[in-house]
Amino acid sequence: MRKLSYLFMALSLLCFVVPAFAQGGEAAAPVNWVAITAGFSMAIASAGCGLAQARATAAAAEGLGRNPAARPGIQLALILGLALIESLALYTLVIIFAKVK
Amino acid sequence: MGSGYVKLERESENSQSGFNASESFYSGALDRIRRFMLVLWIALSVGGWLRFGWRLALGFACGCGIAYLNFYWLKRVVSGMADRIAQTGKQQSGKGIVVRFLLRYFLMALGGYIILSVTPASLYGFLAGLSLVVAGIACEAAYEIYAALARGM
Repeated sequence: MRKLSYLFMALSLLCFVVPAFAQGGEAAAPVNWVAITAGFSMAIASAGCGLAQARATAAAAEGLGRNPAARPGIQLALILGLALIESLALYTLVIIFAKVK
Repeated sequence: MGSGYVKLERESENSQSGFNASESFYSGALDRIRRFMLVLWIALSVGGWLRFGWRLALGFACGCGIAYLNFYWLKRVVSGMADRIAQTGKQQSGKGIVVRFLLRYFLMALGGYIILSVTPASLYGFLAGLSLVVAGIACEAAYEIYAALARGM
């Protein structure tokens, strides 16, 4: 298990091995930081929204399992919650499209 | 003693009927949101056409259509999931629920890709149209505030 973790650590370090670092001092093409940041921001937003949706669904499922009579209220709250959480990822996408034009 | 009992009974009946009225009011929230979305879809598409031109209005209408379908499928998915958990109603297959849930994202991505490749100018309209659900929920929230203030629900 320890060997496996060392292997994964070495592999993750290899991710940082970029040929650009080994190049000389000549001028390289400018890095498009906006596109890179946009990709990261979308990834973070998607991860956050996915986590939030999973937590909301898990809580609703637990509530329904405990008290099936409370279904209408839980269902309404879950639908609205999921729709609003999804819209957050959508807003990130809109901002990205507005910035990376 | 007798009149006090009758008064208490009347108060209890009034509170019970008020509870039922408010429960029926809130249970219709999803249908009202759906109706708000339809009205906003039509009104804002026509308004966008007149103000910004047909390209943006077309993108907006497409985005609204996908958002409407997205909300409808979300409702069905949650309902199917609740049926499975509570073991009531006609139970849908788990595979179908998951496929429908993922199909929503696929549809949104496909719509975005088609709009982007056909008319990039209407992309902003499309993205605005996808926010129709939030606009519908905001309208419902405003209506509930109005109902709470005006009717005391």
